[in-house]
Amino acid sequence: MAKTTLAPRKGFLSENPSVLRFLGLLALFTIIISALAEGFGVGVISTSFLKVLGMTLCLCLIAVAMDVVWGYCGILSLGHFAFFGLGGYGIGMWLMYARTEGIVRESLANAPIPATEGEVRDAIATQIFSVVGSTELPFIWGFAHSLTLQLLLIVLVPGLLALVFGWLAFRSRVTGVYLSILTQAMTLALSLYLFQNDTGLRGNNGLSGLQNIPGLLHLPQSTIALWFFWASALALGLGYLLFAWLVSGKFGSVVRAIRDNESRVRFLGYHVESYKLVVFTATAIVSGIAGALYYPQAGIINPAEIAPITSIYLAVWVAIGGRGRLYGAVIGAATVSLLSSWFTGGGAPNINLGFYEIVWTDWWLVLLGLGFVAVTLFFPKGIGGLFDYLVRKP
Amino acid sequence: MSALLEVSGVSVTFDGFRAINNLSIAIGEPELRAVIGPNGAGKTTFMDIVTGKTRPDEGRVLWGEASLSLLGMSESAIARAGIGRKFQKPTVFEDQTVRENLAMALRNKRGPFDVLFYKTNRQARARIAELADEIGLSDALPRRAGDLSHGQKQWLEIGMLLAQDPRLLLVDEPAAGMTPAEREHTTELLTRAAKTRAVVVIEHDMEFIRRLNCKVTVLHEGSVLAEGSLDHVTQNQQVIDVYLGR
Repeated sequence: MAKTTLAPRKGFLSENPSVLRFLGLLALFTIIISALAEGFGVGVISTSFLKVLGMTLCLCLIAVAMDVVWGYCGILSLGHFAFFGLGGYGIGMWLMYARTEGIVRESLANAPIPATEGEVRDAIATQIFSVVGSTELPFIWGFAHSLTLQLLLIVLVPGLLALVFGWLAFRSRVTGVYLSILTQAMTLALSLYLFQNDTGLRGNNGLSGLQNIPGLLHLPQSTIALWFFWASALALGLGYLLFAWLVSGKFGSVVRAIRDNESRVRFLGYHVESYKLVVFTATAIVSGIAGALYYPQAGIINPAEIAPITSIYLAVWVAIGGRGRLYGAVIGAATVSLLSSWFTGGGAPNINLGFYEIVWTDWWLVLLGLGFVAVTLFFPKGIGGLFDYLVRKP
Repeated sequence: MSALLEVSGVSVTFDGFRAINNLSIAIGEPELRAVIGPNGAGKTTFMDIVTGKTRPDEGRVLWGEASLSLLGMSESAIARAGIGRKFQKPTVFEDQTVRENLAMALRNKRGPFDVLFYKTNRQARARIAELADEIGLSDALPRRAGDLSHGQKQWLEIGMLLAQDPRLLLVDEPAAGMTPAEREHTTELLTRAAKTRAVVVIEHDMEFIRRLNCKVTVLHEGSVLAEGSLDHVTQNQQVIDVYLGR
């Protein structure tokens, strides 16, 4: 990916030194964490925390995508987690199918009469779907046996959904808060649909056991976690590079112009809707890829993951980190999601005021809300903007 | 001189108010034309109709040798067909540099993938330098457009119009808020542009129009009241009554 994106404009990296700095920092971070991880023997960082860090990198990637669509193109999408979730379901289907297939074949290996392929499929279907009272393999699982096809779907499904949704919405010139509401409706509808048991994705049970990678079951989780951590870091690096290239140069110029005054851009002869569609779809695809890397580390995906609120959090991360600068999105997503898991995971000590005890699992959202208000009031350009200000001021 | 733009029998109503009433105007190429009229005469609505922003209730708007109908075309398609527009309030992209503003307007392929893989070249850079020189912003190329003075923004917008290389320029109050020296320069820019293309200027300022020294169309209540040289229309009793007499 990196090669093709770099080819058309020589010297892109030399013109954008901040991209190189970001990639350097990311590489440094990856090396230090790897060296401290359990999988390499030092073991200062536990496997579960390594997974948190790997997942955080995936969240940073979707935040970068969100920054491109909102901070650069001015489309406040409050539905990008739908694409993230679809990516997660895409990889989850293969993980569950292939692992169950392994178990089924192992147990049938000792049977006196060898099982037919049809019987194997039925046994797999029963294993996966008995929880929702079904023994049939739904037709959307038709590709689940093949990793390659399923990987293709991770790109195609979010991409096509974004293309169709975006085409309909942009063509009708739905903008601003109306578009945000429409994207919320999209992710809500998808989440409600998936909550039903008969949709073929196990309803509210979701897909589970995703941390077990078929074919690699003999490897310890500490190693698997490290691989996924590397993959997430690589994806973030490539995604960052792709989007940095996209928003630089003339395309970025037109996209920012659309954000600032879309009707003026029309009078310059640009078909605004096509540009929005390209940005919306490209960011949806990257969100899907981020989701496909996130959920094997999380181990489980269910429809609650794409509830409307998650996409709103995404916008909050980007706003806190600083819109319109890609590293701002990374700072925002990393800071807020790590703080969130610290506060809600019982990491933060509760404060006993005598008459009242502040329990952080309850109060974290209040703190986040106050933080959001403070950032909006005092640093409208977010932490990234503050960062710029400090760097530029000698 | 054949008609480049032909507006005939156009009417448009907003909430019962007839903004344009059976309007017919023909613009040749090359031509410099001034459109004047009191507030609410329909000057800006006329531009909105030609550029595709407003759809008329009836009438025809035909363009070019092939008499292409502009009705039903999108704003961007009309712009690509060769009609450029400058707004009353200068609208440049303030967050971007003068160079970026001009580069965006420069006549080139407009599709998203063409633009994504666009590489600037010597020709484009030369054209930008030439335009910047023409609008007096050579030194301001790397500056943020938002930091320019009001008059400079007006020029930048005119420069962006010229960069589009349109056959017809629609210019809404180009001299508003300009100093006399700046007005002089603007007059010069417009008359020079009108040597090779059609330029339609909406203006309130009679002195400015006198300097343009061109055919004048007077609009009143959405239709043409008088047309001819400035001296001709200013002697028209109806024009004096509705506009100049006040």
